[in-house]
Amino acid sequence: MSISGIVVSSGIAFGQSRILKQHNSELDYRVLALEQVPAEQAKLTTAIAQFVTSLAISLQSLSQDSENYQLIEADILLLEDDELIAQLQTSIADQQFTASVAVERIFTQHANQLRAMEDIYLADRAQDIACLGSRLISVINGNIKHDLQNLHGPTILFAYDLTPAEFATLPLDKINGIVLKTGGLTSHTAILARSAGIPALLSCDFDLIKGNETLKDDQAVALDALSGNLHINPDSDVLLQLTQLGKHDTLRKTQLLKYKDQPMVTKDSHRVALLANVGCLSEIGHLSDAGADGIGLFRTEFMLMNASEMPTEEVQYRLYCDALQLLDGKIFTIRTLDIGADKELPCLSLPAEDNPALGFRGARYSLAHPELLKIQLKAVLRAANHGQIRLMFPMINQVEELDKIFDIIEECKTELVDEERGYGDLSYGIVIETPAAVLNLPSMLPRLDFISIGTNDLTQYTMAADRTNPALTKAYPSLSPAILTLIKMTINTAKPARIPISLCGELASSPNMAAILVGMGLDELSVSPSSLLELKSSLCNHTLATYQKWSQQALSIQRLDELNDYVSHCY
Amino acid sequence: MYEKSVTITATHGIHTRPAALLVKEAKTYTCDVLVECNGKQASAKSLFKLQTLGLYNGVTVRVFAEGAEAEQAVERVSELLVTLS
Repeated sequence: MSISGIVVSSGIAFGQSRILKQHNSELDYRVLALEQVPAEQAKLTTAIAQFVTSLAISLQSLSQDSENYQLIEADILLLEDDELIAQLQTSIADQQFTASVAVERIFTQHANQLRAMEDIYLADRAQDIACLGSRLISVINGNIKHDLQNLHGPTILFAYDLTPAEFATLPLDKINGIVLKTGGLTSHTAILARSAGIPALLSCDFDLIKGNETLKDDQAVALDALSGNLHINPDSDVLLQLTQLGKHDTLRKTQLLKYKDQPMVTKDSHRVALLANVGCLSEIGHLSDAGADGIGLFRTEFMLMNASEMPTEEVQYRLYCDALQLLDGKIFTIRTLDIGADKELPCLSLPAEDNPALGFRGARYSLAHPELLKIQLKAVLRAANHGQIRLMFPMINQVEELDKIFDIIEECKTELVDEERGYGDLSYGIVIETPAAVLNLPSMLPRLDFISIGTNDLTQYTMAADRTNPALTKAYPSLSPAILTLIKMTINTAKPARIPISLCGELASSPNMAAILVGMGLDELSVSPSSLLELKSSLCNHTLATYQKWSQQALSIQRLDELNDYVSHCY
Repeated sequence: MYEKSVTITATHGIHTRPAALLVKEAKTYTCDVLVECNGKQASAKSLFKLQTLGLYNGVTVRVFAEGAEAEQAVERVSELLVTLS
């Protein structure tokens, strides 16, 4: 019996199942009779005491200096906070709310208050507060979490969701794998699992077992976090096969580690920069383990995802400075806000569009809202005082758009001088993501210090196929003769200008395709951090001349299937 | 009453962890220590209240207390506000 999920941390793991009971955060909406109030207040007091005790127990296994210890300690301080308790008890007494509703109201109120804060770091705490509240409600409902300290042996942990604070308390030496019902590639737990090297499957509907079979504690489980499958009570064939795969995977990972600190060079010492596409600060901290030469694409929209309002210049400035510090001189490429109706952003409330992909997005949006663009530009200009930053603009088709952006940059510089705040020099680039940008590149080149080809969108706009429409997967081939030709045209146009030509997109994450792209003359490839070591290990095997030969061959193929066949076998 | 004004220098402001340390210290004094900033006031012994003040980088904070050990308490809390990060 197997169930699929999204691999967020790869590997093979075996163990006994252990299911973390789901939080029961149901609210009891009854209005209390006055004589019920004292009992309800006592119920709250007991629940808080229970919760604090369970947290205090989990502290015992942690080092006092660890971040986790301090976060849990902060949770305890909050739960024992006189002001908070007074508000909760008053809410039960005056409004005759049940304990669960009182907790929900007060914690939500508090979280909203924090969310409204100007500071992105403080505002992030809102999530933790909301989470603490729902855990307290769960305790009130008589549902305190399992004690995971008594695990017998190798365990595969199953849970609906796992917060970073909960992850922190896991006995990682006994947990071989993690399966969550929720979550995605970029969730916090995904990043934590990856950095702890624990195979993890997210968005896995593990209780979706047919008939009378349900997943229980202490069942034999095999987690295939390579192909994304969960096997319950696996038979001996599956076990044997996965054991083999697991051995290969472990060996491969150990072998790949040696490439971590090596520069990316071909066999004949041709240097290619391998960069990472990232979306948040916490990913930057792990980049040196991934072997990256820097960041080829920093998606700044993430700042807005959970924000109730646009982060201020000061907040953005500090964020970019932090990134510079973490990168320690490595390449840092920021893409200005790439927003549009296809991304839901609570702080901007964009009007719906019939065709968001062809709509008001990227630089089009920024140019229509220069006040938003200026906040970001000023923050980046100021941060450039502390290190080298490359700034690129999404969805530029035409040189006039670029002219307008440069006018706004000049305005920002003048304002910064008037305000007696310094700024540094930036390198400027554009993301080539439409056929128009490829064709109009000659007129834009004189203003640019680098370019980056965004293949995901370039494919969408070349094929006129919405990449989010599942019915169009065939109409949206990631590798096609047309895309290869457009990339080649771009390189031919930009090469004489002697500026770095970069490519950011999933196209470059396959080693064979990366070889072809290097052969075509790209200077930098930017992919998700987890693909970098694999690319390094394969690109060093042959000379640039070989890759050039392969790319010429690939460019001569006119049929889609032939091209894909050639590329997958060129090594 | 003893009081003192300090400016927060920690890059990320006094977020959850440093605030928790501050609360633990403040609780060791018998007198209450109040922290005022952005026009709002909170007891340094309440993490719940402190979180809502917006103790971020660059803001000026008034710390004051009355009663037993007021001076020591204010000095200690002010020192932490400046040094914690």
